[in-house]
Amino acid sequence: MDFSISTDDQARLQTLRRLGREEIRPAGWRADRAGAPLPVDDPFFVRMLAEGFGGTRWRPAGADAGRADVVAPNKAGSAVAQVLLAEEGAYWDRGIGVALPGPGLGEPPILSMGTPEQKERFLSPFVDPRRPIWGAFAMTEPSGGSDVANIKTRARLDGDHWVLNGAKSFSGNSSRAEWIVVFATIDPALGRAGHRAFVIERGTPGLVDFRLEKKMGLKAYESISFFLSDCRVPMANMLGGEAYYTQRSGGFKGAMNTFNAGRPAIAGMAVGIGRAALDEAAAFMQAHGLASDVRLRDRLERSRRKLKAALLMALRAAWLADQRQPNVLEASASKALAPPAAFEAASFAMEVLGAGGGRGDHLIEKLFRDVKALDIVEGTGQIQRVVMARHLVGLPN
Amino acid sequence: MIDFSRGEDLDLVAETARRFSDEQLLPAQRDFEQQRRVPELVLQDAHDIGFDRIDWPEASGGAGMGALARVLATEHLAAGCPGATLALQPLGSVAQALLAFGGETALRTHALPLAAQPGMRAVLVFDPRGEWQGEGEMLSGTVPWLPTDRVDLLAVLSRTGLRLVTRGIVVTPVPGAGLRAAGACEVRVDRAPVDTAWSDPVAAALALAHARVQLAALIVGQMHAAADYSRKYALDRVAFGRPIAHHQALAFLIVDMHSAVDAARQLLHEAAWRLDAGQPAGEAAATALIEAVENAVFIGSNAVQILGGAGFMRDYPVEKHMRELRALGLLLGGADAARDDALPSLSPLVFLADGAQGV
Repeated sequence: MDFSISTDDQARLQTLRRLGREEIRPAGWRADRAGAPLPVDDPFFVRMLAEGFGGTRWRPAGADAGRADVVAPNKAGSAVAQVLLAEEGAYWDRGIGVALPGPGLGEPPILSMGTPEQKERFLSPFVDPRRPIWGAFAMTEPSGGSDVANIKTRARLDGDHWVLNGAKSFSGNSSRAEWIVVFATIDPALGRAGHRAFVIERGTPGLVDFRLEKKMGLKAYESISFFLSDCRVPMANMLGGEAYYTQRSGGFKGAMNTFNAGRPAIAGMAVGIGRAALDEAAAFMQAHGLASDVRLRDRLERSRRKLKAALLMALRAAWLADQRQPNVLEASASKALAPPAAFEAASFAMEVLGAGGGRGDHLIEKLFRDVKALDIVEGTGQIQRVVMARHLVGLPN
Repeated sequence: MIDFSRGEDLDLVAETARRFSDEQLLPAQRDFEQQRRVPELVLQDAHDIGFDRIDWPEASGGAGMGALARVLATEHLAAGCPGATLALQPLGSVAQALLAFGGETALRTHALPLAAQPGMRAVLVFDPRGEWQGEGEMLSGTVPWLPTDRVDLLAVLSRTGLRLVTRGIVVTPVPGAGLRAAGACEVRVDRAPVDTAWSDPVAAALALAHARVQLAALIVGQMHAAADYSRKYALDRVAFGRPIAHHQALAFLIVDMHSAVDAARQLLHEAAWRLDAGQPAGEAAATALIEAVENAVFIGSNAVQILGGAGFMRDYPVEKHMRELRALGLLLGGADAARDDALPSLSPLVFLADGAQGV
């Protein structure tokens, strides 16, 4: 066993920390105060492009494979390093982490399901982008969030196009994206086996009614709801091609793989926000003569401990994923534990401020609003418990 | 580089301890408790395997495998019976304290003679508030309960030093709330002569970290047993037409119990790794112990709860689990004595070694 951070990862955390202090947190603050996502042409995005953000993990055939690991200061080659970077990134601003240009959550399904031609087509613009561009991912629907098996968006074949109808919600960066990876079903009766993934490009007829959701926190990135209204998608845009889905439960598995890879990272993000809140609280305690208040110290100790335990569990889940070992139980456990621990940390930090927490102008107050989302995205804490219960006691569906 | 694999050596340690626990401790735990002792044959078997000195230096007769090995062995043994596990390691964490203060010389001088004689017990007592008073070369103090029936070497650890007493130790048997397999007594010394004393705050912190990690391992092992027993029971027991584990109120409780054990275990392993890696371990060890003690109360109580009325009965092990877990958390000053060490400063939070995190 080894719990030390590798020298390489330490160096990357240092870089992210510098960017976090100088760029990421100020940008997140700015968006929060403005109450709106950073606009597409915000100079911040151009500066971040220069710092190495905005790229893809994918490399053209024959490219130097060694570079594939390093796609952005907040992206890693291993799931373990991804947890550490997610934690550090969220410490500075989690909303900015999503707002940053790049293929985003759409990248993993393209990498895992896409044909070589599709990878080339959709990811090559992100190899060395000249301006900030985005990719997006849309699974969640208004009718159900975590119940991804029951998505209602329909896809039916019409000549050489798929025609999609339905509604998607809470999709990050969709209205500014070059393309959106959209999951739909060819027949709800087929359940998971009926799922298909499509890459819908900007300007596709029927991709309509983008609506910017107004959020409590994480305001730096846009959360978009949109409709697919007889949206005609070329056959070539179905990820993997039809043959991919005749493999056993391929389509849905693609989506679930996305989730499994994400859970420890989301847990890491929650820990990062919690850590930021506790650091602010500790600084406030020192500045206001509260450093030796035993009640506050005990609660601070508890919050630190819960965050550390959650981080270790996320790292273990990620390590299992890196070893290609089943990690559903561990990934769900870390995702179930970290956000409530982080919320408790932020809530405690608000209390350290006393009535000052009610003013609404302290970083802690922003963290308190931001952190709640982490218990909801990528499967709520309740869904994680259902998943865990299936594993531990065979809880029937 | 972060790596959760145990490797062959540690796997073998864990497997050996698991098998010993399943064969020799688990089936006999009620007998041990009732007789307040572990039979000589079992003690001898454990000694022959080397559970009592797995982390001692090889030159002193140990296996030199480190704190993680000791933790893994202890977790598995304690799953069978934590009281017996204490008895199987008759020098407790005194050996690690001796190594911290006086190296192998101290271990050979003070511990090896005891280890050579079956049945002898050494006990480490942590004195966080300086309640043990010394007058010159004398020491006075009392412990209302220790899980042992005899004390041949009393090691009193403060935040600044270690004092050894072998003479004038008065033990009085008490009923014992838990861990009876190891015995139960009150210990009193009244102006007893101090054989040896060290003053060294750094060594004291290290000795304390070792002791806390060991205690946390006992708790985590027993917690695992309690959570797992009640989980399996809930799958067998049918009420309202289905296994009670399939009622969500219990399913989610079982899930949270699993997570509580795992959280404590991860903190424990990280702290033990720090001891082996020579990293600062005081804060991590205190953190691991507090998490273990607090989660133990949650696990113990709910393990009984899941069994309902049956859980309250001595026919099932969970009432013992609950008492053992509560009793373990009272040792070494428990969680409260650890809280200050778990929050040594208000400087920015750094979770992992190498200072790669934090501002």
